[in-house]
Amino acid sequence: MKILVIEDDKTVGEYVRRGLDEAGYHVDLVGDGDEGLKRASGKGASYDMMVLDLRLPRLSGIEVLRTLRDRGVGLPVLVLTAQDSVDFKVQALRMGADDYVTKPFAFEELLARVEALGRRPKAIAPPLLKVNGLVLDTGSREVTRDGKRIELTPKEYAVLEYLMRHQGRVMSRTLITEYAWDYHFDPGTNIVDVVITRLRKKIDHAKELKLIHTVRGVGYVVRA
Amino acid sequence: MESIRGRMTIWYATALIVSLAVFAVVLYFARRSATYQDLDRRIQSEADLTAGILAESYHARGLLVRKDTTGKPVLISEVAAVLEVVPDYLLVTSRDGQLLFGSPDARSLGFAHFEQLTALASSPGGLSGPKRFQMPSGPTLDYVVRSVPEAGGQIGIILAGADTRSAELQVEQLVTTIVIAFLVGVVPAVLVGRWIAGQALEPVDSMITEIREITDGRSLHRRLPVPMEKDELGRLAATLNQMWTRLERSFAALRRFTADASHELKTPLTVVRAGVERAITRPDMPPETLATLEETLQEVNRMTELLDSLLTLARADEGRAELHREPVDLRDIIEEAGETGELLAEHAGVGIDIKLPPDPLVVTVDRSRVRQLALNLIENAVKYTPRGGQVSVELGANDGRAVFTVADTGIGIAAGDLPHIFDRFWRADSARTRTSERAGTGLGLAICKWIAEAHGGTIDVQSRPGRGTTFTVGLPRA
Repeated sequence: MKILVIEDDKTVGEYVRRGLDEAGYHVDLVGDGDEGLKRASGKGASYDMMVLDLRLPRLSGIEVLRTLRDRGVGLPVLVLTAQDSVDFKVQALRMGADDYVTKPFAFEELLARVEALGRRPKAIAPPLLKVNGLVLDTGSREVTRDGKRIELTPKEYAVLEYLMRHQGRVMSRTLITEYAWDYHFDPGTNIVDVVITRLRKKIDHAKELKLIHTVRGVGYVVRA
Repeated sequence: MESIRGRMTIWYATALIVSLAVFAVVLYFARRSATYQDLDRRIQSEADLTAGILAESYHARGLLVRKDTTGKPVLISEVAAVLEVVPDYLLVTSRDGQLLFGSPDARSLGFAHFEQLTALASSPGGLSGPKRFQMPSGPTLDYVVRSVPEAGGQIGIILAGADTRSAELQVEQLVTTIVIAFLVGVVPAVLVGRWIAGQALEPVDSMITEIREITDGRSLHRRLPVPMEKDELGRLAATLNQMWTRLERSFAALRRFTADASHELKTPLTVVRAGVERAITRPDMPPETLATLEETLQEVNRMTELLDSLLTLARADEGRAELHREPVDLRDIIEEAGETGELLAEHAGVGIDIKLPPDPLVVTVDRSRVRQLALNLIENAVKYTPRGGQVSVELGANDGRAVFTVADTGIGIAAGDLPHIFDRFWRADSARTRTSERAGTGLGLAICKWIAEAHGGTIDVQSRPGRGTTFTVGLPRA
């Protein structure tokens, strides 16, 4: 799957490029709207999606979007914007954008939206996440350990899903909070500790093999 | 009085009533004194007339007095018959003070009063101009006493007097007339005055309506029509228009700044965040570095939150309430916020109790904003409630409104601080949170207020220091 990223800020662009690359996408990065438009609507254009910054030199993102749609190019467009005002987002959506992410964004959020737009969640997120005997079904939202069903509240489920998706990697409290709550609401990082305590009671209690581990000062990791 | 029109009417009515009252008082006293003068002139002329009759009779007959059947001296009957027709009180005495004649009015007085009258006639004060005498428990009268030297010494004095009641009666009638004229005159005059004031202020009223429409934030480009004549209102309209031109310019500058600031500040934040996020998810980072990165990430988030709040409020000031409304069952929002509240409360050692109605409570609102409102209030309640306290969250419907309350048994807010809690960056000095809690941005409640009001709702607070605080949010259900 090929994605064209149009972003004039090199650091942000490079970050998006590399992140999507790691997630298994093929990514091209261009720095201005003219060039981006040429690549997206020129002969032999073969992109499956576009990630578009709205504030670009020479040709603005809105212009790119309008020209693209005028030329009848229907590829999905994910807009990056620093404006979180509703009317601005509405304007972008009216111009033919398919979705948007507000800066500064967590990469996880960008990825989730790209996945949703690309309609290929299966390739990126397998429906069953497994760590030792712990199984989480992202389709039915069912969790079992050693075949025994575990009942979780929505927030507990979200935290566990995030940790299991990134099993073996230390996830910081802030990243976990952002994922389980909202990318733009922060109830304070201590709340994650409470959820983890509950999860431990339900998952690791009375088990010899503990799956949830604390990394002091940073966050948590799920591993066997 | 709220309106200039009302005040003008009151001033006008007061001026009218005061001048009418002064006029009435002056009229009253002038009329009263004239009435008494008339009365005194009447009795004087009665006395003079009587003296003339007596003098004439003396010249014609020489004898004025005769003895009646009991031997008492009286006026001869020809003279007495003439004097009978004189009204009021008339007494004629002989030189030695004997009563020779009393008029019918005088005779009709009671015995005691008649005695007093005769005593007046024989009092040593002698001849006098008009005097006033109040009979004990009897009428008040004005009287004159004069002698009749032309009557050949047969007559002592003449007393002519009149009851002042007739004069008083005239004055009383005047007062009645004045009061009636006052009521009949003042009420319509005040109403007419009010109407005139309304006419004069009518252009101001229509101006106010237009100004209100312009200042609602969306119509700043509009201007007031400036009438041709350069009167006060025309100049006012022109001045207001100039002011709006400047306002419009500065709002446009603010809008540009808002857009620029969000871009100029958020892009570097995105860059910082990107770097931190990439580093923090690398498997080979030493734990100390990870801890530092985690702290950096937290601060980036705080800055983002602060920036978002500032931009939200800046736009709210502009009157551009940006709401993405859709029908939502409020129970879902409160239930979700409630779970977060339970987690926060568990961490803080505070009890929490969430009550939801059994039936769906659907309102047309901006879901994410109302969620933010609920989370902010619940988070605050937990934050300001000491360990062992209790937070109660309740959702219900009342009078066509959805009502959401968050009550705590926390430290409360001092009465003097209550009016300020929705101000931006305001924090009570006494508002100590648990030391482990991080401080908020100081914008949370300002945002809450904006969210409630942008939905056409209300937010109210009741609090007692040491007892706790209750926030009540009402949202229209339409």
